Amino acid sequence: MSNFWQGPIEKIDDFHWRIPKTYKPGMRVPGIIIADEKLLKDIRHDKAAEQVANVAFLPGIVGASLAMPDIHWGYGFSIGGVAATDVEAGGVISPGGVGFDINCGVRMLKTNFQYEEVKDRIKDLVYALFSGIPSGLGSKGDIRVSTREEKEIFLKGSKWAVQKGFGIEEDLECTEENGAIQGADPGAVSDRAYERGKAQSGTLGSGNHFVEVQVIDQLYDRDCCDQFGLNLGQITVMIHSGSRGLGYQVCDDYTRSMIRCLEKYKIDVPDRQLACAPVNSTEGSAYLSAMRCAANYAWANRQCLMHLTRGVFEKVFSMSWQKIGMSLIYDVAHNIAKIEKHKVGGIEKKLCVHRKGATRAFGPGHPALPQKYSKTGQPVIIPGDMGRNSYLLVGTEKAMEETFGSTCHGAGRLKSRSAALKSIRLDDLLKKLEAKGIVVKASGRGTIIEEAPEVYKDVNDVVDVVHKVGISKRVCRMRPLGVIKG
Amino acid sequence: MKSYEIIEHTADIGIRVKGKDLRELFRNAALAMFDLIATRLKESKSPDKEKILVKIKSDNLEELFVNWLNELLSLSSVKEKIFCEVSFKNLDKNSLEAEVVGCALMNYKIESEIKAATYHQLQLREEQSGWQAEVIFDV
Repeated sequence: MSNFWQGPIEKIDDFHWRIPKTYKPGMRVPGIIIADEKLLKDIRHDKAAEQVANVAFLPGIVGASLAMPDIHWGYGFSIGGVAATDVEAGGVISPGGVGFDINCGVRMLKTNFQYEEVKDRIKDLVYALFSGIPSGLGSKGDIRVSTREEKEIFLKGSKWAVQKGFGIEEDLECTEENGAIQGADPGAVSDRAYERGKAQSGTLGSGNHFVEVQVIDQLYDRDCCDQFGLNLGQITVMIHSGSRGLGYQVCDDYTRSMIRCLEKYKIDVPDRQLACAPVNSTEGSAYLSAMRCAANYAWANRQCLMHLTRGVFEKVFSMSWQKIGMSLIYDVAHNIAKIEKHKVGGIEKKLCVHRKGATRAFGPGHPALPQKYSKTGQPVIIPGDMGRNSYLLVGTEKAMEETFGSTCHGAGRLKSRSAALKSIRLDDLLKKLEAKGIVVKASGRGTIIEEAPEVYKDVNDVVDVVHKVGISKRVCRMRPLGVIKG
Repeated sequence: MKSYEIIEHTADIGIRVKGKDLRELFRNAALAMFDLIATRLKESKSPDKEKILVKIKSDNLEELFVNWLNELLSLSSVKEKIFCEVSFKNLDKNSLEAEVVGCALMNYKIESEIKAATYHQLQLREEQSGWQAEVIFDV
């Protein structure tokens, strides 16, 4: 059965495409897809564009239902979607606009190593990372916490981990929201969610989550690179994970309660996975409080994962991580809802910005940025697939004007997992990756195939668009050397 | 032969499952979901089995179906078990009471993680030969 989308898309310019408000009765704003012609062709091959139109039904949505160039078909919201609602005008919050993996995100570390120094050690390093970092379905780590400690994690996020000795104060400064979004209420999290979160701190999870050793292979903005301390040939590390079972439970709990809100608040949405409630309602604020707990849990998790990664490097290279220069460049969330101030029609408004597979990309001078990034703009980390590239970008003023300070989050899937399993042979794939000098270790055989480079769009195409549109700016590009997956 | 079909979806995975009645539909959907998650090894490494009673109430049949699958995923994560047997004491359009048997994770090869069952394109319908459901999982 073909999922090709036949709906109306109007060209605004080479990079902006509109789904008119008239496409479906009930759309409150148009849909805007940011893409070039090539990517748009891919986008039409599934139902992502229909989901962009569906999101436009959300009460209080302002501007447009936005889609980044890595957009693909999700459940409810498309992945790669941005939707902002006006909090003071009955704007809603939707757990589906955040997703089950609350604060799934990515962080990037640098090292002092040059590729030539460590190229013969990559295999050892990847195998050591694989044994040192718990990964895979339901993986449980050595970092087990009591209910009391879990509450602390919900409130303090990364800071909890730093206080336990899993990192340093400077790491917090280099994390979105300093690793802990304010307004978390541990009382809004169910007992079951607590239970699911107890043993999963410092675990990677499965699917597309990874730890990847990379080398910088292209510099685009030398001034920015100098400010970040990045050079050609330098080894970097990327960590991609989220809030694990705890986040899934919070999303499930609140989707259940918000389905009831559709009737209570007389909200009409075309997909129950878009269930929502006004941000200012009891249900909306309860979800926001619980979601923030899960978001903070995810930041603590990535902080723990970074601590474990630093430990593995220390063992493999027999020197301290400080000597290796493993400092955090930045950590970004790409599944989250935030209360932020943005201008709509020239007037500053308090908005609930849903980023579902989209990254915050605040421009230079934004008060949310640490001093060290005030001039450059916020670092934006874009992981690609395990065979091609990843990018470091920075946020821009243009993103503030056009996309509520948001940009893409990755390459975006092109092929389904089942199509990958049917068409790709593991041996061939591993040989291809090996020929490129990429070492892969994963818990599940299926995971490697499901995450093969050819199932993704080319991240270079996606980043090219966001750079040309100006909603973020290329700083440097990395290529993978070794990756561990769940 | 598998008792379910895969529905193509770009990022996630969907199944189409059938049953002669609602009990069989709910049972087959649960077993299909765990079949996606894990494959039973030929040799059992642990005889451990745990029987768990699951009770769910929902506003309608579709919500009951999604809540049932998500409750099993949640229990599977907390108990570290794969559910391999399901029997119902009661199942109507608003509630169910089931006994499920969880087997030790070490008896399985893990294939993929399912985060949750979703409402996106959810379908449950009664046909001449019984019931059919389509559900998309977030993976």
